[in-house]
Amino acid sequence: MVDTEIRRDRIIIRYKGKKWDWILEPRYWRNTLIWSAFLILFPIISYFVSPILLNTVISANLYAAIAIPLALMTLGTGRMNFGPNFFIGVGGYTAALLSIAYGWGPLATFPLAVIASLVSALLFSPLVIVARGLYYVLLTLLLPLVFLEITFIYTDTFKGDVGLAGIKTLVSTGMVKLNFLIAAFISMGIMLLYLWVVNKVIKSRYGLIMAAINDGEEVAHGIGVNINKVKILAFVFASGMIGVIGWFYAHYFGTFAGITYLPLSFMIKILLVIFIGGRAQVFGCVAGGYFIAFLEMILIVTIGPIQPVLFAVILTVLLFALPEGLFGLYRKRRYREYMPTLHVRR
Amino acid sequence: MRETLQVVLIYAFVLGSIYLLISLGFSIICGVLRIFHLGYAYLFTLTVYLAWMFMKELGFGLIPALLGMVVIQFVISYIIYKGIIMKFVAQEEIILTGLLLVSIVVEQAVNYRYPIQAGVFINTTLIEGSTEFGTAVISNQLLAAAAIAILLTVLFILFFLKTRIGLAIRALSQDIYSSRLIGIHVEALYTLTMFLILIPVIIGTLMVAPVWAVDPTMGSLYMTTAILVAILGGLGNIKGTIIASFLIGFTHSFVSFVLGEPRFMNFSALLLVMIILMVRPQGIAKSEALW
Repeated sequence: MVDTEIRRDRIIIRYKGKKWDWILEPRYWRNTLIWSAFLILFPIISYFVSPILLNTVISANLYAAIAIPLALMTLGTGRMNFGPNFFIGVGGYTAALLSIAYGWGPLATFPLAVIASLVSALLFSPLVIVARGLYYVLLTLLLPLVFLEITFIYTDTFKGDVGLAGIKTLVSTGMVKLNFLIAAFISMGIMLLYLWVVNKVIKSRYGLIMAAINDGEEVAHGIGVNINKVKILAFVFASGMIGVIGWFYAHYFGTFAGITYLPLSFMIKILLVIFIGGRAQVFGCVAGGYFIAFLEMILIVTIGPIQPVLFAVILTVLLFALPEGLFGLYRKRRYREYMPTLHVRR
Repeated sequence: MRETLQVVLIYAFVLGSIYLLISLGFSIICGVLRIFHLGYAYLFTLTVYLAWMFMKELGFGLIPALLGMVVIQFVISYIIYKGIIMKFVAQEEIILTGLLLVSIVVEQAVNYRYPIQAGVFINTTLIEGSTEFGTAVISNQLLAAAAIAILLTVLFILFFLKTRIGLAIRALSQDIYSSRLIGIHVEALYTLTMFLILIPVIIGTLMVAPVWAVDPTMGSLYMTTAILVAILGGLGNIKGTIIASFLIGFTHSFVSFVLGEPRFMNFSALLLVMIILMVRPQGIAKSEALW
């Protein structure tokens, strides 16, 4: 039988020897509620004030939604993947090709985009065991570049740098502004779901195992952790999550071109979301995603064609000036518990 | 069959030699500093575009423009070493991302000032025309590049094996703490290594620039080759780098002339690297020492 106990600060549920705590104490929820309210209200305000901001909100959510599983992957594999955009390409192209070939909508292409990402991740998963430290960095860096080349080789299928067009759109209410608003909330939903899931995983027993692998594979192996299993699981699971973002890009824009997502310039943005956000701190990924998306938008609007240069310069300065990232500034003031940080092992 | 084999082998030699020139600097920096210079791509771009800038904007002749470019390359390398590599040596991920960002800053700045439509061209052709080897026709400039690559590699090997500084750098590549203990000036040798790697990069770029495509993103393509060679060779081992360069040159040549699919060159090289890594995770040669 389910046994429920209500205390002053929490609800405790017990079932067949298992126990779940749900903390009610307002101080635990205050910051979460404030930030969630801000995130939810911002698109609504943008809808009425400046609809163009909705596109930036969507970009920010998607950057964060790529960075969050990447943080999990980094933690679980003990290695820094420098080519997460490969899985965006896999998810995006799967959705795009299916949608164009069979006229499938986003709901029909979703499971296949996820499966394609998972299968490709499984195929490349031996890398997390075979390739150590810097080898892994270089090999993962090359994956999206080679995929990009394949898209150019098979121009008939992938349409090279023009990209695939005619993909069924994510939302079609007949009102453009409303479409953007709904897409903004879907992207936010994905991002918040990722945040919740990854945060739960990191705080669970598996999170501790991953932290042990991240801190020292030999030590983790010595204490009885099946490191290969955990590394492959973390790699494949996170890659599937990143593949979903590719699916979103394909159906959101109605077009998909590898040249947009596979080059180094896009990958570096994701890495910077992680570093400027807070070195693989999952909440920092949200701060990093919003910071980078809005900085990019502001520079495009204000300085025009020299934006790519100045954008890269500003990010370079910030990378060196904020070694713990934006979330690090917050954590310095409110240090609570041990959180593993990522590092590339030589 | 015999003719095809001849073409494959000749191109494997020429391409392998040029890849050796392109990737020697990357491997040396891997072997000595034990970092990946992910900003390596900007060296190629700057070589061509700085020379072009001196000629176009300041009206320099070719030789003064090249000298000016070399001086600026040295200054930038020094700044990058002191400002990024030295400062963040304990935080590998910051170095990797920072160097990659530097490369992107240079690429974007060059693309802003001299987009591909600017028609940048520097005439560093040493020998005009082409030579026929049976059915294979190869540009003389590429043959000269291959010869220079071999010569330069031999000089580098002699430098590392026969000179005291070379010996000190090899010691440094094996163990930094022991090197300090026996009085090796680590910082000075690191700086020297940063300068040394510029030599093959600059010479290689100038040799292939009149023959191969020049555009603001050219560095990324060359760096991809350098990365593949470095991984395959064993991260910083010169013997491994030489073997890997020719192995990748052979793969490219084979894919182009036997399979008839030159578009698959990089893909085939990546596959080769992955297969070899499965069998020998440390690469062809162990990366514990430079030689």
